[in-house]
Amino acid sequence: MPREIITVQLGQCGNQMGSVYWQRLCAEHGINKEGILEEWATEGGDRKDVFFYQADDEHYIPRAILVDLEPRVINNILSSPYANLYNPENIFVSEDGGGAGNNWAQGYASGERLYEEVMEMVDREAEGSDSLEGFMLMHSIAGGTGSGFGSFMLERLNDKFPKKLIQTYSVFPNAQEGDVVVQPYNAMLTLKRLTNHADSVVVLDNGALARISADRLHVQTPTFDQTNQLVSTVMAASTQTLRYPGYMNNDLVGIIASLIPTPRCHFLMTSYTPFTSDQIDKAKPIRRTTVLDVMRRLLQPKNRMVSTVPSDVDPTDVHQSLLRIRERQLANFIPWGPASIQVALTRKSPYVPTNHRVSGLMLANHTSIASLFKRMIDQFDRLRKRNAFTEQYKKEKMFENGLEEFDDARATAEELLKEYKACESPDYITYGSPDADHAS
Amino acid sequence: MMNITCGKIIGQFSDGNRSLPGSLGRRLALALYRVPTSRARKLLHPYGNRTPDDKEDGTVGHDGEMNVTRTPLQSPSLETVVALKAAALVKNAEDLGSTAGVIGIWPATRILWRGNPGRVSYSQQHGQQVETDIGHLSESIKRQLLYTSPNGTSAVRFSNLLTRLLSQPVLSRKHASLSFLHSLAASPSTSPIFPTPLPSLSLPPPPRSHSRQDRHPRSTPPASADTPSLRNAPSGKSKADILREYRAKIDRPHLPEHLLLRDTLYLLQGISGKYVYFASGGDPDSNQLVFKEDVRYIIAAPTKTLIHRLAEVGYLYVRVDSFVRERESRAGIGMIEQSLCHHLQSQLTEYYRLIAVLESQMSANPSQQDALNGDETDVQDIRGRESGLTLKRLDVWIQEWRLRMRMMSVCVEGARGAQGGALVNLIHGYADNGDPFVRKFTDQLLEEVSMPFFATLHKWLFSGELYDPFAEFFVAVDPELAHLQYVQQSSGGQLGGDGGFGVGPEDGADEREGGLKLWEEKYQFQREMLPAFVGEAFGRKIFSTGKSLNFIRYSCHDSDWVATRERLSNTGGTLKYSDIAGLERSIDTAYQIASRRLLDIFFEKYGLLDHLRALKNYLLLGYGDFADQLMETLAPSLSRPANTLYRHNLTATLETAIRQSSAQNDPPDVLRRLDARMLEYSHGEIGWDVFTLEYKVDAPIDTVLDPEAMIKYLKLFNHLWKIKRVESTLSTGWMRIAGGSRTFLRVPELAFEWHQVQLVMAEMIHFIRQMEAYCQLEVIECSWKILLDFVQKKDGDLDALIETHRAYLDRMVKKVLLLSPRHGREENLLNQVRELFTIILQFREATDDFYNYCLSESARRDAERDEERGIFTGSEPRRGLHSLPDIVGRIKEYSSAFSEKIQTVVQGLQSHTDLDCRFLGVRLSFSDFYKVRKEQVQQRS
Repeated sequence: MPREIITVQLGQCGNQMGSVYWQRLCAEHGINKEGILEEWATEGGDRKDVFFYQADDEHYIPRAILVDLEPRVINNILSSPYANLYNPENIFVSEDGGGAGNNWAQGYASGERLYEEVMEMVDREAEGSDSLEGFMLMHSIAGGTGSGFGSFMLERLNDKFPKKLIQTYSVFPNAQEGDVVVQPYNAMLTLKRLTNHADSVVVLDNGALARISADRLHVQTPTFDQTNQLVSTVMAASTQTLRYPGYMNNDLVGIIASLIPTPRCHFLMTSYTPFTSDQIDKAKPIRRTTVLDVMRRLLQPKNRMVSTVPSDVDPTDVHQSLLRIRERQLANFIPWGPASIQVALTRKSPYVPTNHRVSGLMLANHTSIASLFKRMIDQFDRLRKRNAFTEQYKKEKMFENGLEEFDDARATAEELLKEYKACESPDYITYGSPDADHAS
Repeated sequence: MMNITCGKIIGQFSDGNRSLPGSLGRRLALALYRVPTSRARKLLHPYGNRTPDDKEDGTVGHDGEMNVTRTPLQSPSLETVVALKAAALVKNAEDLGSTAGVIGIWPATRILWRGNPGRVSYSQQHGQQVETDIGHLSESIKRQLLYTSPNGTSAVRFSNLLTRLLSQPVLSRKHASLSFLHSLAASPSTSPIFPTPLPSLSLPPPPRSHSRQDRHPRSTPPASADTPSLRNAPSGKSKADILREYRAKIDRPHLPEHLLLRDTLYLLQGISGKYVYFASGGDPDSNQLVFKEDVRYIIAAPTKTLIHRLAEVGYLYVRVDSFVRERESRAGIGMIEQSLCHHLQSQLTEYYRLIAVLESQMSANPSQQDALNGDETDVQDIRGRESGLTLKRLDVWIQEWRLRMRMMSVCVEGARGAQGGALVNLIHGYADNGDPFVRKFTDQLLEEVSMPFFATLHKWLFSGELYDPFAEFFVAVDPELAHLQYVQQSSGGQLGGDGGFGVGPEDGADEREGGLKLWEEKYQFQREMLPAFVGEAFGRKIFSTGKSLNFIRYSCHDSDWVATRERLSNTGGTLKYSDIAGLERSIDTAYQIASRRLLDIFFEKYGLLDHLRALKNYLLLGYGDFADQLMETLAPSLSRPANTLYRHNLTATLETAIRQSSAQNDPPDVLRRLDARMLEYSHGEIGWDVFTLEYKVDAPIDTVLDPEAMIKYLKLFNHLWKIKRVESTLSTGWMRIAGGSRTFLRVPELAFEWHQVQLVMAEMIHFIRQMEAYCQLEVIECSWKILLDFVQKKDGDLDALIETHRAYLDRMVKKVLLLSPRHGREENLLNQVRELFTIILQFREATDDFYNYCLSESARRDAERDEERGIFTGSEPRRGLHSLPDIVGRIKEYSSAFSEKIQTVVQGLQSHTDLDCRFLGVRLSFSDFYKVRKEQVQQRS
């Protein structure tokens, strides 16, 4: 009984990420573009059935549902060499093909309208798994489909599968510039659902992605492909222990249970090192990859994409590195509970050659994420003050009677921000206690 | 006459003296006379005593010069002066000799004064006639030198000196000089000291000289020989004559030497003689020698002493001989002893030969005795005496044999108490001797004696077979196990995983004992039997090599055995004592080949590494997904009382877990060994307490994975399984809370309680995850790495492998179970950790109750709300079994119990003696959380 995970990729961004992610998984498991296991892929020990299932004809098919309201990205996928990889029944493209017009409300409304059809796919996949562990959502929170439809999907999945984990890989918008003017609205509205309906959110900060591209890859304006490769590397690494089982962290709950002490604070940052040309085109080569080196770099903010999985590592090195990190106080921890760095050694794919010895992914639940929320609230407030661009939202049924939902979402974000701030103080133990509320 | 004689001789000599370069002449003389130092000193002494009388005659310079002018001699003729000069030269040589401690020259001076006109004239004529016959002379000298000292150094030295002498142009009468010196040397060494050097010139010698003669009974025959020359002395009868006359008067002469000599020869053969015999006491070890008291004879005390000395050899001979005889007649004595006997026997044969030679020598003696009785002396006579046998000569002859006999006797003595290797050892104890004779003898003996040892060694080292009928080798076989050959089980037999019916526990236990016991106990290393020349380290190697080979053949049924032997025999060669270096080389190679082969068999044929890995993956939960799977499926049934568990259910579950995890990729041979079973349970225990996984191994793998090791594995499994259980309990608990977060949000007044629960749970998760990570990373993986390093090197034998594996296991047991070295409190920490586990499980139950309460509470509120809206949604939901304060109280209780306990555990870990255990403390308190909290607690109090 593998702990299956169903992936739902939504919108333009989600599908692009997904496409690259699946390519990577195929490469790591030795599955070819048609979904057939390569003849040379004989080294067992990996669990393909977490993310793939086997059709009658030996094809490995991703447990993935591709949803978009406009056909462009999905058509690209279907015309790519990997077209035959996916189950065609799991691809949903809105018939009108108009998209969500970067409007959360529109996406959400489409969700309400098209929910039945998508849910059918989800149900079918869920029934096809022996012991479904949860869902993985890939989307961006800035646009329309990913954020709107995604939000709706979160609510529905939560209702329907209350005992399953829902993890999202959410791309957060770039701070400085946005292609979409209403992205603060969209992001805020989605953030509320991410807070209330997801069990864990892996925050992929577009800004950070761009910065990494610039710093590490020496690319000023990274292409979507490069960013997506960056993201897919992180995603693949974060699911490594699920696919290559070891002593610990063999299921999703195992990974996130130790990261998320209180259910609301479930926004995880990731860092990964080294990004090299193996994974990303034109990346700057990194020579030194000792365990300590990797671990130290993982703790540097600039590598932080907003998590640690080295492979083929000498266990004694890890031990030493942990000691060094502690001595040099390379990491700060919450004051109200025991916290530490947990290192999980995992096997790496024997099929994908790398020219560095050690690579690492860090998943961290860090209070500095609060600044991201702060920024989102600020941007939201700037628009909201002027009541700018609200007309499009009012067109939809949800906002016909006013924009209370906007304020509600902001309140949720504010609450989240407050809780993360509170986490930095030892008084977090009494956070939310009736007495404390009285005092304030 | 004396004067003339002297003059002549002196003339001859002075000639030589003039022309001989001083030192060369002296050295030549020195080379000719080799008499034991002690005697030289003794003999020189009376001369030294005498010299003060003549001291004013001249001062003897150190370089042989003499101040002639100061001589107070009454008729200072040239001859006398030269004679004195020659005497001085000789004297000087004596000094040198005594200082050098090798050479005595006294006989030379004696000859000088005794004088023998016939002889000298012969030499003179001879010298004049056959000047060229110097080669013949030197040959005879050399022969004589060789005879007296068989090692030939003096002969070589002589010929060197002779060559130099011949090359000297100044000396004209080389032959004469040489023959003179030769004649000096040829005079019997046993001759008495002549009392005065210049009888014609000085007063009669002091009486004490005669008393000396008295004490020296063997001086009698030479003294009689001297009489002719002395008879002419003006002083008349000598003291010797007086003594002899006295003796004749009392009619109690010395027992003639030849009689004693015969007896002595008998004694040498262990037979009692007529006059001297062994005391025939009841005690065979008594070595009393008895001289027959007879009124007609006396046997002088010195002679007695001499005979005593000689008789020792006879006594020793008897012992050795009786030993050899005794051993020969007895059955079942060791081969090494047999070989010792053989060597002794051949030595004794040598000895018989010597006795025979001596006997033939003795038979020539009577004629000499007759000749001596007569007053006439001539050259012939002297010659006869020279070649004859005397007691003293016998002593010299027998000298070497005395040592040899002693050695043999010691061996014989040793052989009584020791046996086999120990005997060899005993003999070897004498090999490190400074005395080249002893060393040589021992070496020869060892060469012989160690032959059977090396034959056994060869078989053992290259075939792994112990051929040792008399238990002499340093490897002993346990007779009970000797014929127990491991019969390999047919695969799929009892290990088929068919539920284990039909295999009685006793059967299993018996089989399990096999491997390690066979390896460790079939052959025993016996240190006392190990020959010292092999050395303990090599002994161990030899032991291990043979054991390995034996094991390969009989326990592993190695089909490539022939090939292995082929390789071994190539390295072999013959093993013998004299080639210890070669032996060590052979042993090293054989050891390496055999050990390597055995390890290869273990790893390749029997896939030991696969099994070790399987043990790590299954029993040490390396296959996390397998363990998760097994636990998830088993959890419901394990919570029930142990007696409700059924073995077939367990095995079925195991099968499922294997099929659904990555374990399915393991080879079937590994999987069929895996079994799930229950430990023996007592009343009240639940499934969790008694469940265990088991991994069965059969021979010969069980040599490494012996039952004891398996118990350790099970112990580890037990603990790791507990940790895993706690972890999975916490994970599902976390899932519930995470999944139900919205449900209890509808009971807002309990939100803060949930917050508390979550924080405590986070702390517990942190604890258990760190614990797991520590067990996996610091303990299992690091230990595994050490084990793998050994496996890759394959450096050492099976013992090393067993040892490494044992160390690997012990390291893990110690660290996983956090055992403390303190006696009696080893498991203190472990018990505390177990208590923590219990608290966590109780906490989890309490939170479940809390969760259920919230669930029903919110359902109730929903129903209320529905009622308010006028909708009836069914019956009143059932209230939880526990009241809210009760539940919250329990949660609080467990929370505080946990935080207290973990504080103690972390402190305990931080002061743990083991570094890794201490590091677990560091891990648990990585952010110094527990330290800070401790301080807070202290501040508060």
